[in-house]
Amino acid sequence: MSSAGDPLRIEYGREVNGLAIVRQSSPAGAASFSATYVGPAGWGFDPAGEAGTARVVNQLLGSGAGSFDRVALARRLDSAGATLTTECAPESGEVTIWGPAEDWEKLLGLLATVVLRPRFEDADLERVLRQLSERQMREVSQPASRAERELYRAIYPEGHPYRTSGLGDRRSITRIDADRLHRFHRAHYTSGDALLVVTGPARLATVEAVAVRYFSEFDEHRGPTLRMATVRRPTARTVSVRLDGRSEVDIRMGGDSLARSDPNYPAAFLANEVLGGRGQLSRLFQRIRERGGWVYHASSELEAMRFGGHWTIGAGTAPQNAAKVATMLTHELERIERQEIASRELREVRESAIGEIPLALESTADAHELAVEVAYHRLPGDYLLRWPALLRSVRPTEVREAARSAMDPARAVTVLAGPLPRR
Amino acid sequence: MPSSGVRRPKVRAFRLVNGLRVLLAPNDDSPTSSVWVWYRVGSKNEHPGITGASHWVEHMLFEGSPRYPKGTIDRAVLRVGGELNAFTDTDFTAYFTTVPRDHLSVPLDFEADRMTRAAITDEEVARERTVIHSEREGNENWPEFRVEEELFQLAFRVHPYRWDALGRRRDIEQMSAEQLRQYYRQFYGPKNAVLVVAGGFDPRTIEAEVRRRFSPLPPWGDDVSVRDTEPAPSGERRAFLRGPGTTPYIQIGWRSPALADPSTPAVLVLDTILGGESRIFSAGMGWRGRREHPTARLYRALVEKGIAVRATSGWSPRVYPSLFTVQAQAASGVSLDRLERGIESVVSRLTRAGPTPRELSDVRVRIRRGAALAYEGATGTGFRIGYFATLDSVTLEDELYHRLLRVTSQAVQRAAAQLFRPEARVVVRYEPTGATHDE
Repeated sequence: MSSAGDPLRIEYGREVNGLAIVRQSSPAGAASFSATYVGPAGWGFDPAGEAGTARVVNQLLGSGAGSFDRVALARRLDSAGATLTTECAPESGEVTIWGPAEDWEKLLGLLATVVLRPRFEDADLERVLRQLSERQMREVSQPASRAERELYRAIYPEGHPYRTSGLGDRRSITRIDADRLHRFHRAHYTSGDALLVVTGPARLATVEAVAVRYFSEFDEHRGPTLRMATVRRPTARTVSVRLDGRSEVDIRMGGDSLARSDPNYPAAFLANEVLGGRGQLSRLFQRIRERGGWVYHASSELEAMRFGGHWTIGAGTAPQNAAKVATMLTHELERIERQEIASRELREVRESAIGEIPLALESTADAHELAVEVAYHRLPGDYLLRWPALLRSVRPTEVREAARSAMDPARAVTVLAGPLPRR
Repeated sequence: MPSSGVRRPKVRAFRLVNGLRVLLAPNDDSPTSSVWVWYRVGSKNEHPGITGASHWVEHMLFEGSPRYPKGTIDRAVLRVGGELNAFTDTDFTAYFTTVPRDHLSVPLDFEADRMTRAAITDEEVARERTVIHSEREGNENWPEFRVEEELFQLAFRVHPYRWDALGRRRDIEQMSAEQLRQYYRQFYGPKNAVLVVAGGFDPRTIEAEVRRRFSPLPPWGDDVSVRDTEPAPSGERRAFLRGPGTTPYIQIGWRSPALADPSTPAVLVLDTILGGESRIFSAGMGWRGRREHPTARLYRALVEKGIAVRATSGWSPRVYPSLFTVQAQAASGVSLDRLERGIESVVSRLTRAGPTPRELSDVRVRIRRGAALAYEGATGTGFRIGYFATLDSVTLEDELYHRLLRVTSQAVQRAAAQLFRPEARVVVRYEPTGATHDE
């Protein structure tokens, strides 16, 4: 059964009624296995007026399936030494199982039961809706989540999948009932446009055979289409939200950006790493924390998804420093687009990104995350092996160009949320 | 491999003449190596006026030493794709660096350089003060932080567990660079440190390198034991906080035993039955996000029944007696009185009747399974070995494992009766207020 292989090489298998099967070797010496189903079940697919449905369905998948009620499922997982996690994003819904490699076939069967035969019991639905309602309040009242919420609302138009965090609102979640959950589940936990990624010791042919056994019963084989509203190009502006009684102001800055499939992605990736994506090596950390001492955290992120993306900068600071720090963040953003990055700085950031690959393979769970990302974006099986060469082929001028188009300061929205001084 | 179910890699242990304990856990398959330096110094070694000093020193150890001027440690690690960080707790401070295996000399070199010779200049202390302020303020934004800080302050009058490792606001504002330097010179050094190297390396080469770099260091490090003893609790203590938030929140603490107490395994089992986490023996991915535990008693009694949106227990065994906590966030429309009654009802039932045979058997299965997969990756291995070695010894893990599997229902019941005494209870309630003003 076992086949030692390179976890950097992802193998694409045949489809099972449209479900793409993907396999990756575990890192050497690892005793665990991991498998993830990824389906077109993100909150971008929430039916009109029923925002929150995708998250509720996703969360309830872990609350009972097939012959297991919530408690029986938890006991089954505990007795196997396994964990089940669910995750919902704008474009997709995921379910991941992790456990001992020796039990991978049984655990894959359990994953199939969870994905294909959820129970959606009334008591579980009530509980999840209560939790969702509290999360809605938290999103609005916590400075960090509030700043993010306002940022995406400023960038994206009504109806755009990336505009919200999928939590819905007080009214929308009152419309969610078991029938609606089943309907959403049938239409979105499909085999079409979906993936099963397995990281473990079994060979691809064995994984395929087991997948056929367990994953052949999808109600719907076609994947739905995500509707993407056109993003208007906003001009730079600032939104302030005063949240009294807090200690720190959270700042978010950002705008819409490129999709992962964009040929400029490697250059944009490097631009973000130079700006704030590479921790202590990045300019935001160096200039705003290390030299200025203005903040505890300042970083940036480029989230390139399948159909689009956005970039964000995040920082937290004392109320009296908020305006100054926001200006400094803008200055750094403008600088990366205005001045060519020195070869030495680019080399350092690039080699850091390349050098970290072995760290991403420390455990099965770490390696598996990479495989899911590669497979979700339909990247070639040897993409991770080619990634260093892709990065090394990017020139400083291309990084600057990518920064200009993928992180445009002229269109950046800035949000300050927290105990802002009264005007 | 030890005969227990803990699949820990073989560890080569030795001590240098200056007192440094060294633990090497090689794994030839690993593409990475992880270096951990654990100091038995934490907020327990501070006193009012310098609370937060351990955490501040943690920051300062990245700000320059003779051969690694400010910024060069980060650069040296990140430029080869490594990662590094540090964290401070009540009983220890830990620094770790994980690098591709060919670069192991880098962290060994700077850890030796900064163990006794960190610069801690006036200028850098002044600059870092605002960073630490910002870190504290970021935490203060969360009601849960404010409640927990209040809880420990209320529970302890004498013992240094009274303050959070971040330190008090006033001390962060007023502590001088000289006070920090004194604190560092007093406690930091080989005598109070444990060096762990895990992952891909040749043990002979690395042992020689460790001896060469660390043996010349002076045998520094004052006694880190705490003399102050907290008097036995003599009555319930309560506090009420108000501030922005969502729904009412409560945290209840009870004085708990120290790590070395014979009842520790029973309290760990009790924690798992109440809150669901099997902590040090949880099955994989424990740090990758919180999971719900539908089999746990607090969950079943409070979350399932619509009284709370989340409810769990928490206990980290510490060197000295600390607090066992239960925390819960009320569901919308549920009062704190009702929530507190619900929590009391759960702990009373467990105290009265003990765990069921099924609960005990489920906990044992989880511990066995968790232990079997606990060691994967150099970083995680370095953490586990260092954690147990710093608090006691590497073999503490095996001892705890065996003792946990032998815990009886009666032992849990006895531990609950000892723990959940009304006079040892501390309660902090948080009522949300506040409005939002959009501009």
